[in-house]
Amino acid sequence: MIPVLRREFLGILRSPRALAALLAAAVAFSLLILARWPAGGIVDLSGTGSRGAFLVFAAALLGGVLLLVPAFPASSIVRERNQGTLLLLFNSPIPPIGIYAGKFLGVLAFAGLVLCTTLPAAAAVYAMGGVDPWRQIALLYAVILVVAILSIAIGLLVSTRATSPDAAVRITYGLVFAVAFLTLCPHALTRGTSGLFATIADWLRRLSPLPVVMHLVGQGGAVGGGLLEKDSGVWQFLAGGLGLAAVLAVATILQLDHRLFDRSRDAGKITDDRSLWVRIVRRLVFLVDPQRRKAGIPFYLNPIMVKEFRTRRFGRFHWLLRLAAGCAVVSLLMTLAATNGTMDWGVETIGGLLVILQIALVVLLTPSLAAGLIASERERGGWSLLRSTTLPGWRIATGKLTSVAWTMLLVLAATLPGYLVMTTIKPTMWNQVMLALVSVLLAVAMTLALSAAIGAFHSRTAAATVTVYVVLMILYLGPLVIWAFRGDPFGEQVVRWALSITPLGAALSVIGMPGFTQYELIPIAWRIAGAICVASLIVYALQVWRLLRPE
Amino acid sequence: MNAPASPVLDIRNLTKKFGEFTALDNLTLSLRRGQILGFIGPNGAGKTTTIKILVGAMRPTSGTATIAGADCVRDAWRIKRLVGYMPDSFGAYDNMRVREYLDFFGAAFGIPRGARSKRIDEVLETTGSGWMQDRYVEALSHGMKQRIGVARTLLHDPEMLILDEPANGLDPQARIEMRDLLLKLAGMGKTLIVTSHILPELSRICDVVAIITQGKLRAFGTLDQIMRDLRQKRTFEIQLCGPAQVEAAAAAVREALPVDEREGVKAHATESLVRFDTAKNDTELAAILAALVGRRIDVSQFREIPKDLEDAFLSVTRREAPAA
Ligand SMILES: Nc1ncnc2c1ncn2[C@@H]1O[C@H](COP(=O)(O)OP(=O)(O)O)[C@@H](O)[C@H]1O
Ligand SMILES: [Mg+2]
Repeated sequence: MIPVLRREFLGILRSPRALAALLAAAVAFSLLILARWPAGGIVDLSGTGSRGAFLVFAAALLGGVLLLVPAFPASSIVRERNQGTLLLLFNSPIPPIGIYAGKFLGVLAFAGLVLCTTLPAAAAVYAMGGVDPWRQIALLYAVILVVAILSIAIGLLVSTRATSPDAAVRITYGLVFAVAFLTLCPHALTRGTSGLFATIADWLRRLSPLPVVMHLVGQGGAVGGGLLEKDSGVWQFLAGGLGLAAVLAVATILQLDHRLFDRSRDAGKITDDRSLWVRIVRRLVFLVDPQRRKAGIPFYLNPIMVKEFRTRRFGRFHWLLRLAAGCAVVSLLMTLAATNGTMDWGVETIGGLLVILQIALVVLLTPSLAAGLIASERERGGWSLLRSTTLPGWRIATGKLTSVAWTMLLVLAATLPGYLVMTTIKPTMWNQVMLALVSVLLAVAMTLALSAAIGAFHSRTAAATVTVYVVLMILYLGPLVIWAFRGDPFGEQVVRWALSITPLGAALSVIGMPGFTQYELIPIAWRIAGAICVASLIVYALQVWRLLRPE
Repeated sequence: MNAPASPVLDIRNLTKKFGEFTALDNLTLSLRRGQILGFIGPNGAGKTTTIKILVGAMRPTSGTATIAGADCVRDAWRIKRLVGYMPDSFGAYDNMRVREYLDFFGAAFGIPRGARSKRIDEVLETTGSGWMQDRYVEALSHGMKQRIGVARTLLHDPEMLILDEPANGLDPQARIEMRDLLLKLAGMGKTLIVTSHILPELSRICDVVAIITQGKLRAFGTLDQIMRDLRQKRTFEIQLCGPAQVEAAAAAVREALPVDEREGVKAHATESLVRFDTAKNDTELAAILAALVGRRIDVSQFREIPKDLEDAFLSVTRREAPAA
């Protein structure tokens, strides 16, 4: 176990990504303290100022761990398996549990190191006064540590099942964010009711670190429209998190055997060669059957674009159709719920939720498709083949972008029925809906361009995916966090500025989502998104051109 | 094939430096149409570097290379049409069947759809891989991938094929099939450049061989020429009628050889053999035979051991190994 731990830990430390993470954490937390340090060094005994500092500190700590930690365990096992070193480990006397423990502790040691760089900031927060060292700071660290442990446990489990590091990274981030945020949603909907569903929702809610952290910083109940409640649940969270991590660990260790290597290759059975019966069923189930023999790429389509569609697992047509169907159903249900009065939400809230649904889809799906556009070619050796073809560079660049753009537009189109119902209920909203849709389209363009540009600088898909996700999460969630703390500690001006970074705020404000209406964001947010988009496209084009040039 | 034509490949004083390190040092060679060039050298010799320069993926530090008159730096576009390039890594895509894979690259070369489909059938037929057209590319075995790799290079019907280590990692049977395939391609009139770090892999099918180590060209020419150039020392065997005279014969040969060659004289009593290496010419060798006969040693055969390319290769690489 010790050698595995050492290799894992040192391996992480040697990666430039880890160094960047450490440095970023250290710098960010020092800046944070500097910014909040009371002028003249006079400590405010009532502690209102330092409570604000503690709040920002806690949010940064939680966000940092959620963004940084999952990447490392997620790629850890699958990469070793693909490189063949996992097989070597298996043939050593180290038992599976030792391999697991080594990897687990290796990543945890790194997480601990990152947390250590934040200790001076914690000390400074304490020195400002008004914050209890044990009941607040120490407990906060305990919560964050459990979040890290849970993230690692999820990452390692995904890593044993995934077939490629970038898929593992994507799924892990998805799951970690689901545990952190989505677990709150059922409770938000069932709040105030009782029954089995409400009880389950309440239990689910306890898995999220968000209410716990809010409670620790003394903001319980004040934030997010009462989404988070007074009842602390710190101990439940600690116990539940550790318990879940333990279950995941056992599940992972049970997976660590020969089955990892003993997977049969896909024989590539093609639907055209199957029996008529199978063909009919597949036709009905898939609509667009991925296993059917494909026609050649027609001259009017960019071959790169077609190839992108055909090679990805997710985002092929049968998947898109399913997703579109799912989105359409959700958006219609939400609208219906509002019109029937089952929920006492205004049309504006429904519109806001639709916008959030769309942007969430954009932010979650775009990077998984766009971040690896160039990196996957470089990683798998396709790039040297592409450059030896007569395909001009601009067609490679645009083919890759359009493959994602079309996918995202199809996904968004699926959410349109919701808006249609909305405008039929309240025809005066037509204008607002249009403005919101333009904002969402800009969000697509900006996210796509940014993901492609950042991803093009990586030669590994997994690394590209992580970086892009981290950047986008900061970009999209950061302003929402700042908005959630509007008034204290963030002033009106700061909130407005933060919300204009992405078109999300603009979309929410034009649709009339409660809490956003007072911000006038439209020209400025659109301009910023356009500028980011254009700048990213230029950077992307330059990078593609640079990579196509002879060395 | 031996018609004197202008060379289709012409490399002049090609040098490539990575910082201080010289990966390719003043390489000069040329190749005629329809020939197979075996580009041979140990790992790290600079083969891939040369090839990348030829296909326009790298810029030479100095020197020029032209393929069918097209400059590898300035006419990169024409080079792409002229050359089919198979890198040393396969370049698989996920979830892609062999036929879709070839279709994609055919489209990337701008072959119209109708012609493309026919062309894919042809190249699958040529490489004998039609039966795997519905398989997933990433699930193919190494040998199958190499065939698909060759099929891909053939798609746009290039004049010259440049294959980087096509036989690397293949089992003996697959290697023989790969050699047959290469011969077939040469028979179709293609000019081939094939690299390998193992000599016998290719020695039998190449018209011309270039041996390169540490970025320098050590030997270039037809197999026979190289053998002659490299073989400063030839190996001879003296077969005696019985084991009794072996020692006496060995002693006589030692006397006739210069001091530095004496050590190499080996007496094999069990086989009634004496074996030695020498740089002496045929006249001098006749004198040795005469001396043996003069001593009443019963020589049944006096013969030269033909060296194969591998020995030549080893002798070059050993000779040029770092002085350390
Ligand atoms: N991009 C590069 N940067 C620095 N050194 C390189 C690069 N590519 C190759 N080399 C070095 O050049 C030498 C020749 O490499 P290569 O042409 O790949 O050899 P091979 O004959 O095995 O194909 C090696 O020592 C290799 O390390
Ligand atoms: Mg090589």
